[in-house]
Amino acid sequence: MKIGILGVGATGARAARQLVDAPEVTSVVLAGGRRDRIKSLTASLPDHGLAAADPLDAGVDGLILAGPSGTHGAVVRRALEAGVPVVSTSDAPEEIEAMLSLSSEATERQVSVAVGAAFAPGMSCLLAAHGAQGFDELDEIHVARVGAGGPACARQHHDALSGTAIDWRDGGWQERRSGSGRELVWFPDPMGARDCYRASLADPFVLVDAFPGVQRVTARLAANRRDRMTARFPMLRRPPAEGGPGAIRVELRGRVDGRTAVAVFGAIDRPAVASGAVAALAIRRLVRGESRRDGVGGLAAMFEPGPFLAELSERGVKAAVFEGSHGAPDLAESVQGR
Amino acid sequence: MTLLRRALVALGVASFIAAVLRLRGTGGSPPQGGGWRELSGPELDG
Repeated sequence: MKIGILGVGATGARAARQLVDAPEVTSVVLAGGRRDRIKSLTASLPDHGLAAADPLDAGVDGLILAGPSGTHGAVVRRALEAGVPVVSTSDAPEEIEAMLSLSSEATERQVSVAVGAAFAPGMSCLLAAHGAQGFDELDEIHVARVGAGGPACARQHHDALSGTAIDWRDGGWQERRSGSGRELVWFPDPMGARDCYRASLADPFVLVDAFPGVQRVTARLAANRRDRMTARFPMLRRPPAEGGPGAIRVELRGRVDGRTAVAVFGAIDRPAVASGAVAALAIRRLVRGESRRDGVGGLAAMFEPGPFLAELSERGVKAAVFEGSHGAPDLAESVQGR
Repeated sequence: MTLLRRALVALGVASFIAAVLRLRGTGGSPPQGGGWRELSGPELDG
């Protein structure tokens, strides 16, 4: 299996390292980005790494797009013409919406394209799909995330707080102001509670596509006062090569046996590490023909969530479930804990 | 006197409706405690 990676930033490099560990992957073709970075990454992948100007010309079996958002749509069109399955890690809402609109063409050509294959959207979609199996009827999905991967992800994060947030409500899209709707969200430990706000995020597009009957889908991004205040200005500081630990939280609301039920899932990891692992697993599955359908879709629509999450867990990207109790906390236990 | 009687009746009706909603509502109360648990292999097989 020969896999191409276009974009060798924090996420692309992590995806390459994940791919060389897979027995069926014989070579990884790297392109896009600084030449010195491609050279050093190629050298660090003995017997696997190859550099190329254009992975599609190099005859790859599958392609991961890990470059900055806004560059993926044109490559997806070329890959569809070449019949090559693609995984896109873009989290730009307009770009994901545009790529989803190519679904009928991809279905016609019998090619699969997985979009939003990162931490959120990406792993968040798999958690939503996994959790949805426990509901008779799923009404609401609420996603929140904290942290950014590489510099391109940090810029997207910055821009997301100044754009227009899109929520899905009762069968229609609703535009809301980014930076509004503060909500205190509890992420898995040790991330803990963070204030999260509406932002221009892509999660609702891929989730509504995967769960057509859902009534509400929202996405929020953790931010502090400085993030919100500077969101409408250019980034004042160069973003770091890679951000610190991040987390995602997915809350599902629906009905089980006629009663309202809530389920909460989450994960904590470095966003670039998790995104690289998700993208690498997704492209291997697409090339092996293990997608649920042809066409363009998010991970919830394209893959069985259980086995995917289990393989992610084996690779160190672990999911968690929040188990709440409805009674008062056990006083004896809390006293013992002091 | 009439005003007081009306106010008491309104308060009583509101209390009754609130009690019915509290007792018969299906929303339940949000979790009061708990914690995160890692999803393990068998749970992901389904």
